[in-house]
Amino acid sequence: MGRLRFLARRLAMLLATLLVSSFIIFSALYLAPGNPIAVLSGGRTLPPESVKVLEERYHLDKPFLEQYAIWLGGAVHGDLGISIALRQNVSSLIAARIWTTAALVLYASIIIVLIGVGIGLLAGLRPGLLDTSAVVATSFSAAIPSFVAAILLILLFSVRLGWFPVLGNGTGLWGTAYHLTLPAFALAISALGIVARVTRASVREELQREHVQTAVSRGIPYAKLIRRHVLRNAAIPITTITGITIASLIAIAAVVERAFGLNGLGAYLVGAANSKDFAVVQGISLVLVTAFVVVNVIVDILYAVLDPRVSLESKAE
Amino acid sequence: MRGLGERRAALALGLAFGLFAAACSGRSVDDSATPSGGAGQSIDLATTTPAGTQPVDSIVWSVYRETNSLDPIYAFDYPENTVLSVLCETLLHQEPDGSITSGLADLTYPNDTTMVFTLKPGITFWDGKPMTPDDVAYSLERNTDPKLGGFYGATFDFVRSIKATGPNEVTIELKQPDYWLAGELASTPGWIVEKAFTEAAGADFGSAAGGIMCSGSYKLGTWKTGEGVQVVANEAYWNRDVKPLVGSILFKGTPDEAALTSALQTGDVNGLYSFSLSTLNQLRQDPNVSVTDGAGWNSDAFIVSSFDGALGDVRVRQALSLALDRQGIIDTIYKGAALMPKALSPPGTWGYGREVFQSAWDALPDMTPNIEQAKQLIQAAGAAGKTITLGMSSELNNLAVEAGAYQAAGEAIGLKVKLKSVSAANYINFFIDAKARSGIDGFFTTNYGDYADPAALLGTLVLPTGSQNYSGYSNPQVTKLMNEARATADDNERAQKVADAQAIIMQDLPWIPNALPNSEIITSANLTGATASFAYMFAPWANDLGGKS
Repeated sequence: MGRLRFLARRLAMLLATLLVSSFIIFSALYLAPGNPIAVLSGGRTLPPESVKVLEERYHLDKPFLEQYAIWLGGAVHGDLGISIALRQNVSSLIAARIWTTAALVLYASIIIVLIGVGIGLLAGLRPGLLDTSAVVATSFSAAIPSFVAAILLILLFSVRLGWFPVLGNGTGLWGTAYHLTLPAFALAISALGIVARVTRASVREELQREHVQTAVSRGIPYAKLIRRHVLRNAAIPITTITGITIASLIAIAAVVERAFGLNGLGAYLVGAANSKDFAVVQGISLVLVTAFVVVNVIVDILYAVLDPRVSLESKAE
Repeated sequence: MRGLGERRAALALGLAFGLFAAACSGRSVDDSATPSGGAGQSIDLATTTPAGTQPVDSIVWSVYRETNSLDPIYAFDYPENTVLSVLCETLLHQEPDGSITSGLADLTYPNDTTMVFTLKPGITFWDGKPMTPDDVAYSLERNTDPKLGGFYGATFDFVRSIKATGPNEVTIELKQPDYWLAGELASTPGWIVEKAFTEAAGADFGSAAGGIMCSGSYKLGTWKTGEGVQVVANEAYWNRDVKPLVGSILFKGTPDEAALTSALQTGDVNGLYSFSLSTLNQLRQDPNVSVTDGAGWNSDAFIVSSFDGALGDVRVRQALSLALDRQGIIDTIYKGAALMPKALSPPGTWGYGREVFQSAWDALPDMTPNIEQAKQLIQAAGAAGKTITLGMSSELNNLAVEAGAYQAAGEAIGLKVKLKSVSAANYINFFIDAKARSGIDGFFTTNYGDYADPAALLGTLVLPTGSQNYSGYSNPQVTKLMNEARATADDNERAQKVADAQAIIMQDLPWIPNALPNSEIITSANLTGATASFAYMFAPWANDLGGKS
């Protein structure tokens, strides 16, 4: 019952968020200077008659609120509108790209969790040379923005070594995994460093805590001690930072997708926003906002699973 | 446990330092320009590359952004034209050297105001249906359908009617003689599509959902937006003299120049047409990549968009032009791969009357900087200390370079130069929005006409009704010569009139030429046969493309 109420409340919040954000994004795009028709002109002058026909076709000649109402009316009926540049249904354009972004973010998340949390745990539990190396390496990786990582990875692994392709999505499960490896590392590398450092710090903190010291003095086996007393308590901050970074990957993915020529939502959003392709920007924003909210709900549920004291019922106050 | 942990951390550390090392030792981009041009430069650039001989399974071809619509009436930019020219065919054909020959049809002029097109026998669309005069008339008329709002309606201004007049014949009746229309029909407005297919596709025609139906040597394969347009060799191509060697071409949008350059080096991308690629010299030195300097048809110019300010005085325009460091622009933006201009239209556009245009070009003065003379012109015009405002975008490197060159030129001769910078996405508004142009004296463009004729670009900017005549420039002599040229049947006579108009235009400078960019064809070293000139925008360029033996 409590879980259901929690989900219902979150769903209502999601809908409200979507409505508000769609209006804000639409307004911002409307206010930004530029003309959506310009994308078709390639830097030369279009005949005014053609511009007029196209503006009527895409309702660009209507007042702002009417344009938004037309879009919203369509959206609640599941019609996200037509892309001006590609003259195609926005839903089908999103459907064609969403799995690339989803796969990329998932791949990067796996890297972050396995390698980031892994390094953090080892560094936290094993002081000495290993810990120092990990601190240096993670400081370094945390400071590499994704677009730099993309260039460096392409230079080293594609141009120099020829191990991975520079561009494209690939086909089939293995083809996709192969093509997405460099992009996923480029996306993960900075977040990986941050997650590793937070993990290391929380493990260190737990190790110093009295109950752990007591457990050590009681002769509890090392593996059990780590599992039951250290990791269990360190899990909350680790989950938080992992959740936040993964949610942020959804936005950063745009940079990586562009650098690797991937057919994903992020790169498409950037292109569409530049050309003021209203319906596309609105559609993709809805998807990204939803994904962001869903990731946060998952993190909240994980809290409850990890720590029985946390109740899904309680409101954040 | 410990060992594994150490290995893992060491791996991470190694990865980090490996990247660092790669960053430090990475190939540096050679920014030094190859020496070029100046006086006595050769204006003879390649129009073709040696035909390929070996079959090639599939290649990836780059375009600067994703292809939007493949409906010919909306094709207005490089990606759409690059793809459409291998798929669809025009009524008349534009050869790589710009000359116009028979395409799908032979053209005769029974009189000055009648054009009769006789379709070649046996032409079929990809679906096997024969091409009929109905398809031709339908395709041409789509250009002028007000409901469709196509971009080429104005080129049919002089057309009274387009009618199927026989089993293989289409007749265009003109209101007055128009010898420019043939050029247009060898270009984007002349692409013929199948009527039945187009009507059935309705609003989806030309999109990834609806596709197109043409008659070219390549046909539309799979088109997933975002991943690219794939075209495949048309085994049943009606013209048996042409056998495409490349099985399929995937046209992929690659907006990122760094990624594009890497992809060319690794073979992930096998070719592209380009001008002003910042990594051109790096690619020239790469043994895996082949670069050919092709004849360009486009012009890099400064558009004087308003005559209300200081630039309204022709002497100030001349002075600005005299003070401009064009070699700097050519070296910085084009890495040397551009011609020093003498006129607005490059030699690549001499599709007819070559000798006439050549001697007119030789007679035009070199555009060598002369600050002293420029200062005298400013004094004579009483313009010293006046301010001019240039529209530009500091986000676009090439525009920033050009605006800098104009600023230096203006200040060297006593003008004050203000720059009005807008975002990259909004730069386009200078072209399409009069409000965006208010308060500025001019902005920069790289522009081209629809076919190989200097008049094709000039007409848009010097005629009072020209679509790119922003300043309201009007010189009765120029207008008269241009209109006479349009009505002149003989090639050399027509060329002479255009050349005479051009000489006046170069005095009046409604636009100031900056450089005449080459059309660079960049491919994997083992590929050859693509058209080298700018004709690739309008005519099949991959018919001879293939592997080297």
